[in-house]
Amino acid sequence: MKNYKTSNLVIQNICLLIPLILYGIFKNGYLVYEKGLINFVDIFKPLYLVIIGVIIKIIIDVIRYKKIKIDYNFIYVILVGMIMPNNINLLIYLINFIILYILALFLEKYFRFNKVCFIYLIIILINFIFNDFSFKSILEENYSFSFSFLDLLMGRSIGGISSTSIIFSLLGYIILISNFYYKKDIPLTINLIYLLLSIIYFINTNDNSILLNSDLIFASIFISSLPEYSPYKNVNQIIYGILIGIFSFVLAITFNNIISVYIATFIVSLFQNIKLRKKKVKLSILE
Amino acid sequence: MLKLIKLKENNEINIVNNLNDFKNPANIYIPIISNKTFNLNDYVYKNTYFDEYIASISGYIKGSKKVLINNKIVEALEIENDFKENILNKKKPKKINDKETLLNVLEEYKLSNIIDKILKLKNINNLVISSIDEEEYSLKEFIRLSHHYVEVLDTIDYLISIFGLLSATLATKNTNFKSIRNVKSIIGTYPNIKVNLVPDKYLISYKKFLCEYLNFNPEETLILTTNEIYDIYLILKGKDIAENLITISGNALEKSLIINVRLNVSLEEVIKEYIKITSDNYEVFINGYLKGQKVKKLNEIIITRDINAIVINKKENLEVTECLNCGACQKICPFNINVKKCYLKKLSHRNCIGCGLCEYICPAKIKLKEIVMSDDNEKL
Repeated sequence: MKNYKTSNLVIQNICLLIPLILYGIFKNGYLVYEKGLINFVDIFKPLYLVIIGVIIKIIIDVIRYKKIKIDYNFIYVILVGMIMPNNINLLIYLINFIILYILALFLEKYFRFNKVCFIYLIIILINFIFNDFSFKSILEENYSFSFSFLDLLMGRSIGGISSTSIIFSLLGYIILISNFYYKKDIPLTINLIYLLLSIIYFINTNDNSILLNSDLIFASIFISSLPEYSPYKNVNQIIYGILIGIFSFVLAITFNNIISVYIATFIVSLFQNIKLRKKKVKLSILE
Repeated sequence: MLKLIKLKENNEINIVNNLNDFKNPANIYIPIISNKTFNLNDYVYKNTYFDEYIASISGYIKGSKKVLINNKIVEALEIENDFKENILNKKKPKKINDKETLLNVLEEYKLSNIIDKILKLKNINNLVISSIDEEEYSLKEFIRLSHHYVEVLDTIDYLISIFGLLSATLATKNTNFKSIRNVKSIIGTYPNIKVNLVPDKYLISYKKFLCEYLNFNPEETLILTTNEIYDIYLILKGKDIAENLITISGNALEKSLIINVRLNVSLEEVIKEYIKITSDNYEVFINGYLKGQKVKKLNEIIITRDINAIVINKKENLEVTECLNCGACQKICPFNINVKKCYLKKLSHRNCIGCGLCEYICPAKIKLKEIVMSDDNEKL
C-alpha cells in the first residue's frame, strides 16, 4: 500500500519531464550558443525557469506547512517553466510567478481551475501587453530553416522553451499509459479531434501550418490530463477531450496555434467540478 | 471479471505453510448473547453449546470478560480448562441421505452459514467447492485442502449424491501448487469431481465473480468452502467441530503462523505461546488487511468460527492528503460504485461489500471504505 502514494506519482511525472527539459536546453540553449547568439550562462535558461518555480514552491511550502510537501504543485511549477516562450525575461518571470502562484493558491480555495494554464496565460498576457512577445528563439528569429518531418517530430518546431519535443512527449505518454492513475483517454481524444479538424481544414484551405502542433501534444499529455483538473469518469474524460480538441482547433486558426491548447484547457477545466467550497455549493457539470 | 486485480505482495510478510496445533489453552471465552445466568465454578462439558458458541474444552466457569464479537463488545464466560476433555453426550457418526436430513444435522451443529447458503437457493444445479482464500494473508482454505484433500474429496462425492447432481467443481487458485499436486494425485478416483484452476486475483472467491469465471448461474450454484466441507466431514464421522484454522501474520511479528486452535480461545494466549510481537506500535486486523476489521485491543479478540486470519502490522503513518480527483477508486471498484461521489456527499453505497480496494489504490490515502460501507450513513 505504501507504493500507491501521491509522492510516487509526482516523482514518476517529473522523471518523464526531464528529457524534455534537456532537449529544451539543447534546442534553445546549445544550438543558439553554437551560433554565438547567446552567452554560455543562457544555455541553461530552460532549467532556470524550472528551478525558479521549484524554489518558490519550496519556500511557500516551508512557510505554510513548515516542511516540503511532495505534491502535484511540484509538477505544476515545473510545467509552467517548460511552456514559457523563449524570450521571456527571467526577472519578469520571477516576479510574475511569485505573485501568480500565491494568487492561484489563494483562489483554489474557492474554485478549481487549471493552475498551470492560469499562471501561464496571465504571464503571456502581461508579456503580450508590455513586452516584445515571441515563441521563437534568437536563432529562429535570425535564420530561416527548412525542417524535415523528422526534425519537427524531434522538436525543432517553434513553441514553448521545453515543450517542443514530440518524440519525448509521446515516449512519456507510452510510459504513462501503464500508470493506473493516468487519464489516458484525454490526450488521445484531444489529439484525434484536433488532427481530424486540422486535416479537414487543410483539405479545404491548403493551410498546413496548424497540422503538427508540438505544444498541443505536450499539453494534452502532461497538462490537460492532470488529475485534479480533469473528469474522473471515462465518458466525461472523452467529452472533456473532445471539447479541448475543438476549442484548440478553433483558437489555433483564429488566434495562435501555440497558446490555443492552454486557453482551451483552462476554459474547459473551469466547467469541470466547479466547487464553491466555502459555500459548499457544487456546480458539477462534468464529474 | 476483468476488473479484478492481483494485489501487490508485501515482501515484509512471509507466510510459511507449516500447520501448528494449539489444543490445550488455559482458558476459553464463550460470548453470552441470551439473558441466561451462570454461577461461578459451574462445570462445563466439552461440546456444550451456548447459543451458537461451543465450549471447545471442559472446565469450570471462573469469571467473565469483555470480548469483541461482530464489531461489538459483549460479555463472555471465562472457562478454565481442566484438560480432561469430558464430553456429556458423545456424538455418533451420521448417515445423511437427503437434503432435509443434512439441514437438520447442520442445525444441530449450529452451522448457520452453510444452512443459509443452501436455503437461499431454490434449485441447486451446480456445486462448487471453493478452496480460494480471499486475502493473501489468509491460507485457511489452501492449508485445509493441502492437508485434508482425501477427506474433502470424499465429502464432495457424498454431497453430489445428497443433492442429486452429476458432478461438482473444485475451484482452487492456480498458484496453490501444493494442494493442486495433492488433489491431482487422487482425483482420478473421483470421476464426478472436476478441478478448475482460477487466476490468483483478489475477490475471485466472491460468488458473483467465481460463478462468472466458471460460467455458472449464481442463482443455481451452491458454493461451499473446503473448510465447510471439512466440517460436514467431521459431522459425518461423528467428530466435534471445536477447532478453527487461522493464519496469523504481519510485519509486526517475528514470524507468521498457521495454526489449528480451539474455538473461542483468546488470541493473546495463542500469540504468547507461539510468536513474539516485535513492535510496540502495531495495528490488528481481523480477517485480513483489506476487507478485515481494524481492532484496537489484542486482548479483546477471541477466535470464533468466522475468523480466518489475523494481521498484526506496524502502524503506518500515512499522511492523508486532499483527493487528487484521479478516479482510481471508481476505476478499481468491482461493483462500479462511484466512490468519489460517495466520498464527496458522505454517503454509503448499498452495493459495497467493503473489499477495501478503493482505499488500497487511493494515492491520497483517504479512508474511503469507512465512508462507502458505513451503516450509519445514508445509502446511495
